[in-house]
Amino acid sequence: MTTATRAPALFTRDPGATLSPNHYTEVPYEEKLRLWEQVKADSRFPDYMYGCYECGICVAACPSARFYDFSPRKIAQAAGREDVELIYEQMNDDVWNCSQCFSCDRCPRQNSPGGLITILREVAVANGLASSKKALEGYTRIVYKIMTTGTQVSPDMLQPDAFPDWGPDVRTVSENLDTWRRAMPPETHHTTSASWIVSKKTLTELYLIWHYSGVMDMIAQVDEGLHMIIMDVMEESLEEAGYEI
Amino acid sequence: MGLIPLQAIRRKPVPDPADAPTEDIRELLFELEDAGELIVQRVPEPYIEVMTKYGRTKKIPVEQTWHHKSCGQCGHIPGYSTSIFWLNRKLGLDYFDPTDQTSCTAWNYYASATSNAAAQAGVAVRNFAAALETGYFPMIHCATSYGHYKEVRHELVHHADLRAQVRDIMGKLGKPLVLPEEIVHYSEWVHAMRDRFVEKQVYDFSNLTVTVHPACHYYKLIKEDAIYDPDIYGGERTATVSAMVMALGATVADYSTFFDCCGFGFRHILVERDFTRSFATQRKIEVMKEEANPDVTITHDTGCVTTLDKSQFSPEAHNRKVGIPVMSDAQFAALAMGAHPYRVCQLHWHSTDNRPLLEKMGIDWKAAWEEFSEDLARIERGEIEYLTWEEAGV
Amino acid sequence: MSSEGVGHREPARCDRVLVIGAGPGGLEAARLAAALGSEVLVVEKQSVLGGTPIAESYAALTHGFRSAEEAMGEMMAAAVDQTGVIIQASTEVTAVSGSAGNFSVTLSSGETVEAGAIIIATGFQHFDPGRETQQYGYYEFADVITLVDAEKMLKAHNFVTPSTGEPPKRVAFIQCVGSRDRQIGNEYCSKVCCGISSKQAIEIRQQVPDARVFVFYIDMRMYGYWENEIYWPAQEEHKVNFVKGIVTEILAKGGRLVIRGEDTTMGRPMEVPMDVVVLAVGMEPSQGTRRMAEILGVATNKYGFIERAPESLDTVATSVPGIFVCGAASGPADLDDTISSAGAAAAKAVALVRRAGVPA
Repeated sequence: MTTATRAPALFTRDPGATLSPNHYTEVPYEEKLRLWEQVKADSRFPDYMYGCYECGICVAACPSARFYDFSPRKIAQAAGREDVELIYEQMNDDVWNCSQCFSCDRCPRQNSPGGLITILREVAVANGLASSKKALEGYTRIVYKIMTTGTQVSPDMLQPDAFPDWGPDVRTVSENLDTWRRAMPPETHHTTSASWIVSKKTLTELYLIWHYSGVMDMIAQVDEGLHMIIMDVMEESLEEAGYEI
Repeated sequence: MGLIPLQAIRRKPVPDPADAPTEDIRELLFELEDAGELIVQRVPEPYIEVMTKYGRTKKIPVEQTWHHKSCGQCGHIPGYSTSIFWLNRKLGLDYFDPTDQTSCTAWNYYASATSNAAAQAGVAVRNFAAALETGYFPMIHCATSYGHYKEVRHELVHHADLRAQVRDIMGKLGKPLVLPEEIVHYSEWVHAMRDRFVEKQVYDFSNLTVTVHPACHYYKLIKEDAIYDPDIYGGERTATVSAMVMALGATVADYSTFFDCCGFGFRHILVERDFTRSFATQRKIEVMKEEANPDVTITHDTGCVTTLDKSQFSPEAHNRKVGIPVMSDAQFAALAMGAHPYRVCQLHWHSTDNRPLLEKMGIDWKAAWEEFSEDLARIERGEIEYLTWEEAGV
Repeated sequence: MSSEGVGHREPARCDRVLVIGAGPGGLEAARLAAALGSEVLVVEKQSVLGGTPIAESYAALTHGFRSAEEAMGEMMAAAVDQTGVIIQASTEVTAVSGSAGNFSVTLSSGETVEAGAIIIATGFQHFDPGRETQQYGYYEFADVITLVDAEKMLKAHNFVTPSTGEPPKRVAFIQCVGSRDRQIGNEYCSKVCCGISSKQAIEIRQQVPDARVFVFYIDMRMYGYWENEIYWPAQEEHKVNFVKGIVTEILAKGGRLVIRGEDTTMGRPMEVPMDVVVLAVGMEPSQGTRRMAEILGVATNKYGFIERAPESLDTVATSVPGIFVCGAASGPADLDDTISSAGAAAAKAVALVRRAGVPA
């Protein structure tokens, strides 16, 4: 993909030396470096990044590499070389192609390019990068669902407009949803707004986990409106349960 | 044919656990428990021992299991979870289906990255603490939850900071920090129990050809903790699912993209669907059809069943060579034992046509659908509120 | 240990060197020690001498493509014919006591012998590809073979696709199988596999001229003269294709094998059919090396090889004075390493037993 405009350098802390064609020239180097330092500071980073000898096993096993112009090997190489410019570019353009299957965990050096990408994405989201907001554009109702009910792909999400390419069966399901959901023995399944009936106490505990682990700050970066409605739901429930946050 | 002096039968030697190249995380768990850092919930007896990749043994509880449900399963393919419960009930086993359970919330992690290590670990151990409170041992329904929890276990064991942070959060919930002795996937239970299913099998599956799709998150994450057997694939591929299918008498047919991901992609199946659709069709279904022409493909993860089943409509409209019914190992085993295809296996939620398969199995789906339609009618008339386990035969 | 001091006499040192293992290392060590004037006893576990090159039917050596059997035959003859060398085949060491200058060794034959110094020459075994992290299917597909299986066919001048018995059209080598891998635990490089694979690639091209041969590698480690004697001719004369990018999966498709890797030049995943895939399996300590380390009480490193302290320039010392090691028992070694270290071990062993005052 990249044609180097400068000779590749080993010590890419030098802002003038990178393999990246440097599309994000408007973003200062210090800012890119700051984000990279956040990635490295994550507790999972040492488990995901050792060294890379460019064997290509990760690319060979990667489904996204077959479909997109995407290479987990380049992710690992950029991280290993600490090529901050290239990493910033990948954080914006490449990380959302990964299908998080972890086939790349076959790496003989024990790197996890998929794991690195998980951290890169989280840093992008937590810092409100426009590319992350764009990637999550169609996703806000899903975040809402999982964070407020503790489940996702609930029965009521089986709507034809959500899954147009799944065929007419989706319409059939959505039209018969209530009856069909009653026509199954497990008691916990007798609901349509969540995947199973989740107790109130459980949800209270879940909200406390979101609150104390700092996830709500990340949501605020993704979408203000989303943050607001989730906070409303959480606050109401926590108040009822006697918590003040 | 001039054969050369290679071993006529190449049999993989049984791996010696003493040579295992990785740590045994369970030992580290017990050390942390001794140091007062967390509580380890023990696998209840009776349990069955199975072998994992490097020859270590893993304990699989027979019963007294706390069912950690999968949101995608219960939401979109409820026959999957219903079948898991039905299998337990058919064998008269004691289990618990909690409402005090959240999903693993991997949708918030792998898909959208709107979470972090502490939140994910918090969700996991909250569920484990809830299980401990009931005295039932967690059994994980989704392969992603299972793989993710194995990762969480690794992170908590190796990072004291994270552990302290999560213990603190649990403290605010009034819960201790709990991890189970083993993280058990339900398909490992199905594998361990397969001989008991065979005892109760009522349909002959010997005329069925099956392709198996092993879930990435089952065997690629924390690789040492997955079931392997020298007698199955020479110990080179996970034995889970394949061993059970073979035990039921069906033929497992190989195909050249066995290790490929199904293309679920998490985010992709919702908002970048061309990737999922293309991948599932071109790398899995078409290859299976071309090389093995199976009657059904069996897998053991929510995402895989959903992806492979739902992705076939669109390509069919484009005259691609697809059309393989998809279901889980649990539904397959349940059908073999006489479970109702609609009351239990809930096959009407599946997209790809499975009626020819049912016919080949010798199951009268027309009669079954009539019965079930009557159930639906009774519900609509308000005569019954819900279908019961009694009506499902257990 | 000084022989000076009032009224202090050192016990006489036994003038015998015990060599454990009769492979190339053991044979050379024995021959030289005896040539230097010591008595030498060689014990060999197998009924046949010559070590791994003979037991695994090596075809040609990288040394000018010379017949391994012939070369080993010469080494065996040189050792057997050397005055002072006694070789006991089908014999193992079962117990050892004493210290440098005076070891007492019990053999599986029941006898106990004295030795002043011991040389461990118990070598290596090949990595079992069933333990590989990648999905190579060695125990599933007859046409996935190892370097060892290939040597046997090449020696018999019958290199065929095992499942059909026909000469193959496409052969692939996969390098670094069982080596350089943190997940397997063998983090080291096994040193010889690149050279051996390239040698075999040339031999296949010679024996099966219609076959296309590929080598998939991370790096080609062609030290010293291997570069110009083997690597360049392989590419230039014999048209072996070297592709940078390791194969991760082998499955079956349409009656042939299909391999998946990344062609890193192209930067995309690639998938190609092959008739035969040869796994370049690396070295691990042999069962003999492990057992002798335990019985003799010498330190091993984390991979199970006899430990040579990394900072030491002494290539044959072990953690026990008077016990020396040569060849692949202490880590991956090629034939030149083995023969050279055997000589060093022999010289040091003889110096120990023959010259009073030489520190143990």
